[in-house]
Amino acid sequence: MARETADDIDEAAASWAARADRGLSPAERAELDAWLGGDVRRSGAYARMTWALMSTERGEAGAVRQPRRVTRRGWLAGAGAIAASLAATGVYLGATGPVSYATRKGEQKVVSLDDGSVITLNTNTRLQVRYSNNRRQVDLLDGEALFDVAKDRERPFVVTARNADVRAVGTSFTVSNLGSAPVEVLVREGVVEVTRADLPQRTAARVTANSRAVLSRDTGAVAVAHVDEVELGSDLAWTDGRVIFRGETLAVAAAQFGRYSDIGIVVVDPDLGAEKVAGVFNATDPVGFAKSVALSLDAKVEIRADLVRLTR
Amino acid sequence: MAPGGFRVPEIEEEGWSAIPDATARVDIRARAAWLGQHVIPHEPALRNWLRRRPVEGLDIDDIIQEVYARLVALYSVDHVENPRTYAFQVASSVRINHIRRLKVVAIDSVASFEHLDVADDGASPERVVAGRDELRRLDRMLASLPARVAEVFRLRRVEGLSQREVAQRLGVAESTVEKHMARGAVLVAERFKTGGIAPAPASKPMIRRFFR
Repeated sequence: MARETADDIDEAAASWAARADRGLSPAERAELDAWLGGDVRRSGAYARMTWALMSTERGEAGAVRQPRRVTRRGWLAGAGAIAASLAATGVYLGATGPVSYATRKGEQKVVSLDDGSVITLNTNTRLQVRYSNNRRQVDLLDGEALFDVAKDRERPFVVTARNADVRAVGTSFTVSNLGSAPVEVLVREGVVEVTRADLPQRTAARVTANSRAVLSRDTGAVAVAHVDEVELGSDLAWTDGRVIFRGETLAVAAAQFGRYSDIGIVVVDPDLGAEKVAGVFNATDPVGFAKSVALSLDAKVEIRADLVRLTR
Repeated sequence: MAPGGFRVPEIEEEGWSAIPDATARVDIRARAAWLGQHVIPHEPALRNWLRRRPVEGLDIDDIIQEVYARLVALYSVDHVENPRTYAFQVASSVRINHIRRLKVVAIDSVASFEHLDVADDGASPERVVAGRDELRRLDRMLASLPARVAEVFRLRRVEGLSQREVAQRLGVAESTVEKHMARGAVLVAERFKTGGIAPAPASKPMIRRFFR
């Protein structure tokens, strides 16, 4: 497959931007449109190169080089559309107090915070972000999220999930707070400290990279266990929109899909439910999963509107 | 059961064929300006984030181009309240669409997608383009370009000559001037990757102010 490289596209896009800088003839205009209509990446590269040349202009297009306030006023006076978006940005940046984020079942969301930290919300998740001068606080009310935390020694990043406070300076970890299951913390980089959020005298457990901490619901005891890279990879597969099974029973796997979709998978035969499954699946496609399983386990699959039944 | 894994069902793609039309619809300079103002300053952070999430058969540059393409294809950007988060969201969906297109994936290779080979996140604080002295900034930019390219840019941008006039002044073909402009574009765009455009402060002090 001879795919054009990104560099090739950048070179061509730069040529087009340079030609547009001197003005295009109608024939060239048509040629440019044809070129843009090819690979999907081209129009993106072209816009980027157009800005590269615009950013060297003086005057209106180079407004970005002006002090910010002037820039905004200039733009507001100009294009209404852009003015509206700037106004919205202003409102957003000026916001104080907690900001809430949520995903529906089957949905995932990436939230990039202004300190450079990035939160990836898994399916059916609710959280609240509150930043102050000395603390970056996130309340994970429900669900599961991956936190890629930008380093800031003066402002620790703390995720509170039910009875757990998970404190980090700069690292990458997930916290899950799922219904009746104990709160879990999975660390893939750096170190986090896990403490009981519901006790006055706090003793912290340090959890290092490639480890999982599980907080007992009743006693609050923190159990830390090592996870190998393969396990870590499958536990984080949801960030790629997938689920990975490595020998879980079909019953367990079917329940996993219930987190991502309203279409439930019902395994009728207990023997069938005890069969082991392995593989990589699209998290939001329970029907595809059921069909694959049916094929490899020689089962029958019956698809209804809101339900998939697997039988022997 | 085969240990190698199942077929990953393909998902339906969004309307990618809409992109070519979009560029005809959208004023490319206006959209480029919007990108330059709101998204390109976050490109270093976005690249950092993508670096920790490699996708088989896809370079970061491929994803970046596709992200911008999607932003160009938007009929309007009025609804984009937080361009930075929006860009990350688009990047995430570009990744996931590609991964799903890989169809058959061996378990081991999948695990290594989230490989822990990224050293540090705090390395490159995102920089905001907000230089105060326009001319000095332009000077600095020109100084970093190869001499011939810099001369073309100086005549075109500082003295305001057209490309044709620049060619006459330098006694070269217009196509040569055009090539120098293109080369300059590539070199300037190279700096979007690291944010090394203006000696602007990292965004942190601003955040403090805004979130108080």
